[in-house]
Amino acid sequence: MPEGIFCNKRPINTEEELKALLSDTRGTKYYEEMLSLEVDREKLWATIQKTCKSRTQTWLDVCARCGLCADSCFLYLVNDCKPEQVPSYKIQSTLGEMVRRKGDVDNEFMRHAMEVAWSQCTCCNRCAMYCPHGIDMGVMMGYTRGLLYSQGFVPWELKIGAGMHRVYRAQMDVTTEDWVETCVWMEEEQQDDWPGLEIPVDKEDADIMYTCNAREPKHYPEDLAEAAILFHIAGENWTVPSEGWEQTSLSMFAGDWEACKLQVENVYAAIDRLKPKRVIGTECGHAHRATVIEGPYWAGRPDGQPPAPYIHYVQWVAEALRTGKLKIDPAKRIKQTVTYQDSCNYIRNWGLAETAREILSYLVEPGYLVEMTPNKEHNYCCGGGGGFNGIGKFRPQRNKALLTKRDQILATGAKLVIAPCHNCWDAIRDLEEEYHIHIDWSFLKPLLIKMVIVPDHLKPQEEAGDEE
Amino acid sequence: MFEKILFATTGSPGCDSAARVAFDMARQYGSKLTLFHVLGIPGKGDSNVVIDIRSGEEVDVDAEYIEGVAEELRTTYAKQLEGLSGVELEVAVGVPSREVLRIARAKDVDMIVLCGPAEGQEAGFYKRGVVGDTLRKVAKAARCPVLTVSRPSASFWGGFSNIVFATDFSKASESAFQFAKTVAQAVDGELHLFNCVDLSRFQSAIALTQDGIEAKLAEARRRLHHEYALQLGDFKRFTSEVWEGTPYVEIVKFARERQADLIVLAHHARDVDPDERPFGSTLEQVIVRASCPVVSVNRPDKLPQAAEA
Ligand code: SF4
Ligand code: SF4
Ligand code: SF4
Repeated sequence: MPEGIFCNKRPINTEEELKALLSDTRGTKYYEEMLSLEVDREKLWATIQKTCKSRTQTWLDVCARCGLCADSCFLYLVNDCKPEQVPSYKIQSTLGEMVRRKGDVDNEFMRHAMEVAWSQCTCCNRCAMYCPHGIDMGVMMGYTRGLLYSQGFVPWELKIGAGMHRVYRAQMDVTTEDWVETCVWMEEEQQDDWPGLEIPVDKEDADIMYTCNAREPKHYPEDLAEAAILFHIAGENWTVPSEGWEQTSLSMFAGDWEACKLQVENVYAAIDRLKPKRVIGTECGHAHRATVIEGPYWAGRPDGQPPAPYIHYVQWVAEALRTGKLKIDPAKRIKQTVTYQDSCNYIRNWGLAETAREILSYLVEPGYLVEMTPNKEHNYCCGGGGGFNGIGKFRPQRNKALLTKRDQILATGAKLVIAPCHNCWDAIRDLEEEYHIHIDWSFLKPLLIKMVIVPDHLKPQEEAGDEE
Repeated sequence: MFEKILFATTGSPGCDSAARVAFDMARQYGSKLTLFHVLGIPGKGDSNVVIDIRSGEEVDVDAEYIEGVAEELRTTYAKQLEGLSGVELEVAVGVPSREVLRIARAKDVDMIVLCGPAEGQEAGFYKRGVVGDTLRKVAKAARCPVLTVSRPSASFWGGFSNIVFATDFSKASESAFQFAKTVAQAVDGELHLFNCVDLSRFQSAIALTQDGIEAKLAEARRRLHHEYALQLGDFKRFTSEVWEGTPYVEIVKFARERQADLIVLAHHARDVDPDERPFGSTLEQVIVRASCPVVSVNRPDKLPQAAEA
């Protein structure tokens, strides 16, 4: 069978196709069909010739197989230092083979490569910091995923995820109407507590355009409300676009480059349309990578930059605290042992380690922050990055991968983990559920709202004038 | 009086008492009833697996599973559904409080009926901050009255005649009062205006002198009279009473003493921070302890109109 009904080389482009694939519970038929999915060898080789950049070629060639990268990979460590988990082995046995064999690989090889690409590497880019040649497996694995995707060898959930972006321009089925309705809803819901609070949609020339992660309107709309509250307290002139509000990219995890481009162009179009002075994304780490770090290249922007300055949420928070737009009540600072989860995607890939520490210096009473070891740029992936969190087929491997983070957290003795990245947050939630280490975890927004000093004029009348 | 009622249920025995009230009300007022079940929260990162709210098990949410759940609800409530027309059955995936609020808003309902805190919802992370606070979040944010029934009640909607309205004199309590008044008038019942001077809120010893307390009691009596009793006009079947102590304890005691069959109160914002009130808000405590249904009303938006009753 060259192609299956569910498992094939065609991307999902319509709602019907998406629903059909979703109805195949756990991808049972999908994976069955994958067993006999034909590899289009010619196309694979043609694609490699066309897209395998000289950097990747060089990396593959210069890798000395010295294994110095081995210890840098948390998946190698957590999997009893199996040689198959050495970063260079992972890439040489997949991409390296494809290139050496000029695309002449079979179904079994592709399925194996899929397993390596999505369950043995979270594209966390940590190994790149330790290789003497600066070889970055995360980047190469990302590229390999693209090749696998184009041949239909991609985990079921991520084929769906990429399809969501293609159909809805969001990782979940949140339509423009759903989104705008959620903004109105949250605005209404907050108005008793925050008189005058607005969630302005499509306001032109605002100082800030805010973008988020589709799981917020879908399941956790209070996340949006919290962003609104903090902008409100800080007195920001801000807006959200009615279209182009979704900043994440499961298509990046899937290796669906075309969908990545469609997705990010949608956000950039909103920037062009509303002309904000700058754009601020939510706390999500991979959203920042997709829209700010890699996005400009997908969209073919000549300067390698988004159309307006685009910063991560921790940058805005640090700035707001520094300039006094947000003031923390010293009495409410955290006085319990707390640790911080550095998200690879904006710490390693965007250099925000110190910015995050600056925020912590406002929020945590001195002496109560216990850093993980290692931390900052050297921190390990949460264990669920790169799409790992969402793939049912690789759940056992993912759960094992969570052990690194579990042990890092346990060693700090902290009962609270501040985890701004949504994906890290999910991983930590899951590790608590899996291993019961009795911790709490939190985004920045709720913590800030608890600790911030609310100016009198923003308080509801009744509260302000209440007795006691 | 209530055109559209939303009954959020898990279909478990813990919801039986609430179900009786919800169905009785729908019958009594010819309301359009929506049965709503939230399957559970999407678990495990962003996968399609959901942790079922009742079993705590992982389930794959597909059309078949949803139909199965709907069928189960239909069977559970088969008796109550007899002769009721236009009952809608909705199933959703997500955080329960959010989904209840979302559908209440979408359907523009006049009343939300919730089951009280039931057993068997203790699994995993639900214990902390997911199921436990459904009630708190819905009661705080809903535009319409929220009725919670956690125990088999002596009498039900339509049959009751004794309403306790407990106030803390907040703005939200004003809406709760309007609700209590309308219902009491509509059923020609009795209305008991009640305030508890919250002694737990006074930190300083000076405020706790007997004179100080008595002054507070006198002031509260005055306010009950001016802010509520005077609004009752021709309606004479009311009493007014002020006690002191911890509000939820006194409210429950008072309701028992008056053999109330409905308690009406606001879910005041002062109560909401679960971290600072480890034993929950006044509302939650009243719900858990009261033997009758409890309605919380926070806003003037969707109050029943007496004329239509
Ligand atoms: S450290 Fe660098 S050169 Fe050595 S094996 Fe790893 S990737 Fe290859
Ligand atoms: S990118 Fe991260 S997960 Fe992948 S091989 Fe390198 S260290 Fe391991
Ligand atoms: S989820 Fe967080 S820690 Fe894990 S790879 Fe992504 S950013 Fe890194």
